[in-house]
Amino acid sequence: MFKRKIVGAVLLLGLVGPCAAQAADEPRRSAAQADAEQKSWEKEFDEVCSKTQDAMTFSEEELKDLIRRCDALLPQIEKLDESQRKVHLGRLRKCRGLYAYVLDAKGNEKK
Amino acid sequence: MPTSSMRKVMRRNERRLLLLVAVWGTLLQANALLAQIYLPKPPPEPSQYGKVILDNHAATGPGPVVFDHWLHRSKFSCRLCHVDIGFAMQAKATGISAASNREGFHCGACHDGKHVFEGKTIFAACGDTAEDKQCSRCHSLGKKEARKNDYKEFTARFPKGIYGVNWEAAEKSGIIKPVDFIEGVSVKKAPMQSREDFAVEPAFSWVNPITFSHKKHSVWNGCELCHPEIFPAAKKGTIRYSMFSNIEGRYCGACHGKVAFPLNHCQGCHASGPLWAP
Amino acid sequence: MSKKMLFAMAALLVLFGQAPSQTGVKKRRPLPYEYGRVIINNYSEKAELAPVVFEHWVHRSKYTCRVCHVDVGFAMKAGATDITAADNSRGYYCGACHNGKTVVEGRIVFQACSKKGTSEESKRCQRCHSYGLKVASDYDFFHFSEPLPKERFGNGLDWEKAEELGLIKPASFLEGVSGKKSSLALQKDFALNAKVEGMPDIIFSHKKHTVWNGCELCHPEIFVGVKKGNTRYSMVDISEGKSCGVCHTTVAFPLTDCQRCHSKPV
Repeated sequence: MFKRKIVGAVLLLGLVGPCAAQAADEPRRSAAQADAEQKSWEKEFDEVCSKTQDAMTFSEEELKDLIRRCDALLPQIEKLDESQRKVHLGRLRKCRGLYAYVLDAKGNEKK
Repeated sequence: MPTSSMRKVMRRNERRLLLLVAVWGTLLQANALLAQIYLPKPPPEPSQYGKVILDNHAATGPGPVVFDHWLHRSKFSCRLCHVDIGFAMQAKATGISAASNREGFHCGACHDGKHVFEGKTIFAACGDTAEDKQCSRCHSLGKKEARKNDYKEFTARFPKGIYGVNWEAAEKSGIIKPVDFIEGVSVKKAPMQSREDFAVEPAFSWVNPITFSHKKHSVWNGCELCHPEIFPAAKKGTIRYSMFSNIEGRYCGACHGKVAFPLNHCQGCHASGPLWAP
Repeated sequence: MSKKMLFAMAALLVLFGQAPSQTGVKKRRPLPYEYGRVIINNYSEKAELAPVVFEHWVHRSKYTCRVCHVDVGFAMKAGATDITAADNSRGYYCGACHNGKTVVEGRIVFQACSKKGTSEESKRCQRCHSYGLKVASDYDFFHFSEPLPKERFGNGLDWEKAEELGLIKPASFLEGVSGKKSSLALQKDFALNAKVEGMPDIIFSHKKHTVWNGCELCHPEIFVGVKKGNTRYSMVDISEGKSCGVCHTTVAFPLTDCQRCHSKPV
C-alpha cells in the first residue's frame, strides 16, 4: 500500500513537475518574448517610417505596401504604455499620412 | 364701487401702461448707449490731440507717461515706431517697462543716451545714473514742470488744417522731413510697389464715396503697419467695417481716431462731405 | 410680465455693454527675444509649478524643425502635445534630450522633471517652469544673435542665411529617436497666384522648406490637397494660423514680411 503511494507520488511529481517548472519559466519567457516583440515593432517602425524622405520615388505598389505595414503596426503600438503610445501613435499617424498623401498625389497625376 | 369686471379692466390697463413705460425706458437707455458709440466725440484742441497717457505701473514708479505724438511725428514716419520698433496702437497694449527701455527696446531704441539726432544726444529713458533724473520729461502727468518743447512754438510755421497741423502739407512743403530708417533699429528692404488709389463705397447713399489713397498712406506707414493686422489682406469688400468700428478705434479708426486727422473731418475722406455737414 | 421685461432690459444692456472682438487693431510687435515663445501649461499649475516657457530660438539653432515636430513628436500648438512629467522622465518629448546624459555642443543637457522635491531640484525645475518668475537663462539672446545676419521681423534674424553661412548647423538627426534617413529627393518650387491685384505672386520654395521640415511635418496634416490649387486658403486663413500660418505667425518669419513670400518679379 505504502509502495503504491510512493510510486503514485513519484508519477504525479513526474507529471506535475515539468509543468510547474514550465510555469515558473513562463513569466521569464513572456518577458523575453515581450522584449523581442518590443524590439521587433520598434525595428519595423524605424524601417517603415525612415523612408518618408523617398516617398515621392516609390511606386504605387510600394506605397501601398508601406501603408499596409503602418496599419499592421497600429495594434502593436496601441498596446504600449502611456508615454510610448502617445508618442508613437503621433509619429505613425504622420508617417502613414504621408504615404497615403503621396499615393493620392500619384493617383491624381495619372488623371 | 368698481365691480370685479371693472377692476379687471383697470388692472389690465395698469399692466399695459407699465409695459409701455418699461419699453420706452429701455429704448431711451439703448439710445443713450448707442449715442456714446454712434457719434464721434469732438476732438480735443490741437495741442492735446494725439496725446497718449501710458499708465502701466501706476502703483510703483514715477507715475504715468504723457506721450505727445506731434513732436515725434514731425521727425519720424509712423512706420518707424509702429513697425520697426514695434509699438502697438493702443495705450498700454505695448507693455513698455523701464527694463525693456534699458535693454534698448521700445522707447529705449532711441532714448538710450547714445543715439545722436539733429546734432543732439537723445536722453536715456529710465536711466540709472543720478544725472538721468529726467524722469519727469516723460512721466509728467499732473506735474507743473514745462515740457522742453512747446506745441505753439514748435508748430508755429506748420501749415494748419481744420483740426490743427496739416501734416500732409507740412511734408509736401518740406518743413518736416520724417525719418524712416534708423541704423541698428531698421533693416533695409526693397520697397514694395504701392497699390493704386481706390474708391470705397459707403453703406449709405447720403454720404459721398471715399477715395482711399494708398500712396499717401504708404509714404508714412509702409505696408506692414496696416497689413495684415489692421486690414487683413483680403479681396476688397471681404472685410466689412463701418463708422461704428472706426469710432471704436478699429480699422481706419486705429489712426484716425486719436492721432491722424479725426473722424469729425468728414471731407478728409468723403470728398465733399455729407449733405448736412458744414 | 414685469419679470420678462426686466430680463429683456438686462439682456439689452448686456448686449450693448459687451466689448467688441478685437480685429482691425495694431497689436504690439513681440520683441526679438520673445518671438517664438510658447507657454505650456497642461499640468504645471496643478503641480504647483509655474507654466513652462519654451523659447524656440534656443532650440532652432541646434535642431531642424523636423527633429522635434516629427521624430520626437511635438504638436504645433501649445498644449496640444499633452506632455507630462512622466513622459519626460521616461525619455519622451523634452526628455528625449533633456535626460542628464545627452551631450550637445560639449555640454550635458540637464534632465527635465524630477520626482524629488528638494530645493536643489526646484532650481532645475525653474529652468523651464519659469513663467512670471525672474530666472536667469543660460543663453542670452543678445550674445546669441549678435553674429547672426539680421532680418526685419520675428526674431530679427535671417535664419536661412545663418545656416547658409554655416553660423548655425541645425542637426536633422537625433540618436535613438530619428530613423536613419536617406537624403531627400528634391521637390520643385512653384508659384502661387496672389488674389489681390498688384501684389506680386508668391514663389514657394519646397527646397527651403524641406531642408528643415522634411515632408511629414506639412503633408497631409497642414496641407491636405494633393493637387496644386485644390485647397484654397486666403491671407485671412493664414493669419488665423491655418496652412502657412501654422508656422508663419508665431515661429517662422511673420506675415508682416510680405516680400519674403510675395517675391515673384512683376
